[in-house]
Amino acid sequence: MSEKEFKRPSSNLRRVAAVAGVGHTDWAGDWKRVRTGEKPTDSYGYGALAFREALADVGLTRADIDGLIVGPTTAYERMSEVLGIDPRWGDQADAVLSMAQAVTAIEAGLAETIALVYGNDQRSAEIQYGGPQAMGGDAFLSYVYHSPWGLTSQGALYALTFRAYCDARGFDPLDLGHVAVAQRAWSSINPNAVMRKPITLDDYREAKYICEPLRLYDYCMINDGGVALIVTTAERAKKLRKPPVYIEALGRRDLNRGATSLEPRLTDFYFSAQQDCARQAYDMAGFGPRDMDLFQVYDSFSVHVPLALEGYGYCEVGEAGRFMREEGIGPGGKLPTNTSGGHLSETYMQGWAHQIECVRQLRGECGERQVPDCRHAHYTSDVAGKAVSIIYSR
Amino acid sequence: MSEATSEAARTPQPVLGLYDRPMWESIRERAMKLQCCTGCGGFQYPPAPVCVHCLSSQLEWRTLSGRGSIISWVVFHKCYLDAYPAPYNVIAVRLEEGPVMISNLEPPLPEGNWIGKAVRMTYVTMTDEFVLPRFAIDAGEQKQR
Repeated sequence: MSEKEFKRPSSNLRRVAAVAGVGHTDWAGDWKRVRTGEKPTDSYGYGALAFREALADVGLTRADIDGLIVGPTTAYERMSEVLGIDPRWGDQADAVLSMAQAVTAIEAGLAETIALVYGNDQRSAEIQYGGPQAMGGDAFLSYVYHSPWGLTSQGALYALTFRAYCDARGFDPLDLGHVAVAQRAWSSINPNAVMRKPITLDDYREAKYICEPLRLYDYCMINDGGVALIVTTAERAKKLRKPPVYIEALGRRDLNRGATSLEPRLTDFYFSAQQDCARQAYDMAGFGPRDMDLFQVYDSFSVHVPLALEGYGYCEVGEAGRFMREEGIGPGGKLPTNTSGGHLSETYMQGWAHQIECVRQLRGECGERQVPDCRHAHYTSDVAGKAVSIIYSR
Repeated sequence: MSEATSEAARTPQPVLGLYDRPMWESIRERAMKLQCCTGCGGFQYPPAPVCVHCLSSQLEWRTLSGRGSIISWVVFHKCYLDAYPAPYNVIAVRLEEGPVMISNLEPPLPEGNWIGKAVRMTYVTMTDEFVLPRFAIDAGEQKQR
């Protein structure tokens, strides 16, 4: 079926809203506590702690918050009750869509200052993303439909994708190690990160397979924590204590046809969705990949990174391996990517921590891992074929 | 189910929505059927209430040829399910009728790259007597990639 040309997203949304405050919990400290058998708090508690930090960061109080979006792991009403706020607008959404919805609600006048709050006790609650209690079947049938044949883990879906991708694009599977190595190099200079011990390509290659061709270091960690962001109008953000980080552009394209049988993963590698999403976001911003100082990719598995490098035009199709090897995505590389360490090495906050890393890099708050003169940051996710991008600018 | 079969080794049970049931019944009879649209001729997997290609309700259950080719494969080295001790493989097969189906490749397993290998459906009875459609290399057909 040929795709018709849809109207491009409204440039009315460009720079109408800004992130004014960010906060997060003590991921590394809680990781240690959970591993010794403690239960620091629950999902609502992690969200509340992060929310408190975000309010302190921006210098606002709960009375200033008139909108609330919570992450998928907590109920909207209960989180709002725990935080002690009565919003006039609210929703529940994942990391990237919560930001898109906040901008839309602000532009529409439905709310002025919106808190985006995520909390997850997935480690201490022993949430399983593979096996008999695999998560997500109600949202993504592909996660559970193939269980009679032993396929339940989400990592296995990416392993299937990666094998077909290597075959189609001539990607050397060992080049995938550059993702894990580069992100660990970033996290080694990030005091917030859970995993900080540097690894080498040899470590990567010697690591055990989980679902071949993917190895241990290709998988994200599972840990407890929370993240919160305060988003408000551009006008109001200018008057607050931290420099505003504007939402410059948005883009989205979902591939749902054939999703359960894995067709878009195995034959398109989400490329067509990423290309359309990229066009929307770059058109809206008025600039493109060459102008980005920071690239942030949802990385539940390392595989997302080479797919995104090609899909969003950071390198030519078939060049992701060479790009990572020769140009570099780690510290000192041409395209600083997942500078916090990402899900593989910093914290698995299902895309939420990537947003606050964009904000802090654009504010210049990142210390040793700071990207020099960071002006534009591109975040992208392609969870289950939903390609979404946000471009942030200072 | 025999008494020797422990609950632990039970085959992970399939999703059984309204439209999945006739498919699993056909599998139990070792002649797997999928819905085919009498309007546009398209096959679909998983089964659905309408034709996903043209929205028609005129769907007919048709037995598959059993032929296909591998488009991707993985080997699990971690055990997630008692019925599947590691290592074991999972393959994605492009059925001759069009849809992609996830399954397993029965031995003998080929050396090297499996992508593009022609396969043929075979029915395996699991220890709990659950019948599962799997595939074996189709020796009679050296499919060119």
